[in-house]
Amino acid sequence: MSDLLTGMPVLSLVPSHHNLTYHLIVIVIAAIAAFIPRYFPMRFFTNRKIPLWFNEWMKYVPVSLFTALVVKSIFMSKTYAFVPFGHVSQILAAVIVMIVAYFTRSMAVSVIGGLAAVWLISLVI
Amino acid sequence: MAKAQQINPEGARWLQVLGVSMPLCLSYVPIGVACGILLHSAGMNFLLTFLVSVMVFSGGAQFILASLLMLDAPISSIFMTLFFLELRYALLGSSLSKYMQNESQRFVWLFSVSMNDENYAVNYLKFATDKNWTPKDALLVEHYSLLSWAGGNMVGGLIGSAVHIDLEIVDFALTALFLYMIVMQVRNHLSLLISLVSAVLAVIFLSLTKSTLGIIIATLIASFIGFMIENTVRQRSDHPDDAWIMRKLFRPASSRDTISDRQEKDREAEVEAELKAELKEKLQNDAKTDEAASDSAAVKQESKKSSGDK
Repeated sequence: MSDLLTGMPVLSLVPSHHNLTYHLIVIVIAAIAAFIPRYFPMRFFTNRKIPLWFNEWMKYVPVSLFTALVVKSIFMSKTYAFVPFGHVSQILAAVIVMIVAYFTRSMAVSVIGGLAAVWLISLVI
Repeated sequence: MAKAQQINPEGARWLQVLGVSMPLCLSYVPIGVACGILLHSAGMNFLLTFLVSVMVFSGGAQFILASLLMLDAPISSIFMTLFFLELRYALLGSSLSKYMQNESQRFVWLFSVSMNDENYAVNYLKFATDKNWTPKDALLVEHYSLLSWAGGNMVGGLIGSAVHIDLEIVDFALTALFLYMIVMQVRNHLSLLISLVSAVLAVIFLSLTKSTLGIIIATLIASFIGFMIENTVRQRSDHPDDAWIMRKLFRPASSRDTISDRQEKDREAEVEAELKAELKEKLQNDAKTDEAASDSAAVKQESKKSSGDK
């Protein structure tokens, strides 16, 4: 398998210490991990009547999930320890993003503004 | 509106849907480029980057995949981390599934593989507010966003070797995106409260589980609390929408009358007009059917008579 792949011109494009086979395996594994939770619950529920309480519950899932994800990237260290002021520039930039999003309600402006803010603040701090 | 007609005089559906997904596509490009740069520094070339963006198609998962590859994490832990991160799609998918009940299994498969947070948000909003929104339009939104995401990823993969950017800054693109989506989702006091509850729970469960599983637990509990509170308020109060916790938050005047707000108002007026027209028609029909019923009864009686005569 690896002999076959080294003969291919694509391999010359790989710039790292990892080889192509390893990356392809990782991609397939990642795709499976992404596919299972996306497909099976949706398929299960398209055949059945969804209980009303379940729908009402799902209404609050996005806001809870996004908050949890933001908290993880701003207030948690890589080893999952709570660091309230570990990323000061990101905390300040997050406040700016929220203000920008609140007033402009534009996704593109918020994201680009956030990137600019975190870059500028990290230059100062 | 005049401009939209100029660009799209025949009202082609794919162009209309493109208009709906344009803000999403445009904001995907910088984030996609950022993600492409990260994947490049994790050792993937632009073709592999393209492959990941099509097969995984999830901002969060790809950012985390890049950092795991840089840490030389074992494949088993890559799988578990991504699986728990993507578990949220189970919730998103089941909340959209009620709109997919008339679709074929193949369509559901096609739809679910290219669903992610942002196009879910767009589609959920459209399904909830636009009665003409079809699953096919929703799939089109997903494919447009996939196109711009994959394009951004490839550009990032190509320029990754040329430019040197602080990866911590690039990583913030995803956080900014989530923050934007929180701001858009928080519409009343209760959703603000749930967001805060979720933040506290996330800290607790992330430090307890030491894995992204903490995010799933925090999400499930916080959203359940939201559901319980809303349920209780709706049962106890005579005017649940006027209760303090369900009241809408103040939004700035400049943004209050967004296009979607205006469309919502138009739609409400339309629905009202339709209801009135329907009611009128119904009344007329009722009058007619009454007449018709008495007519047919008369006919029946006559036919009975005639058959009796025979």
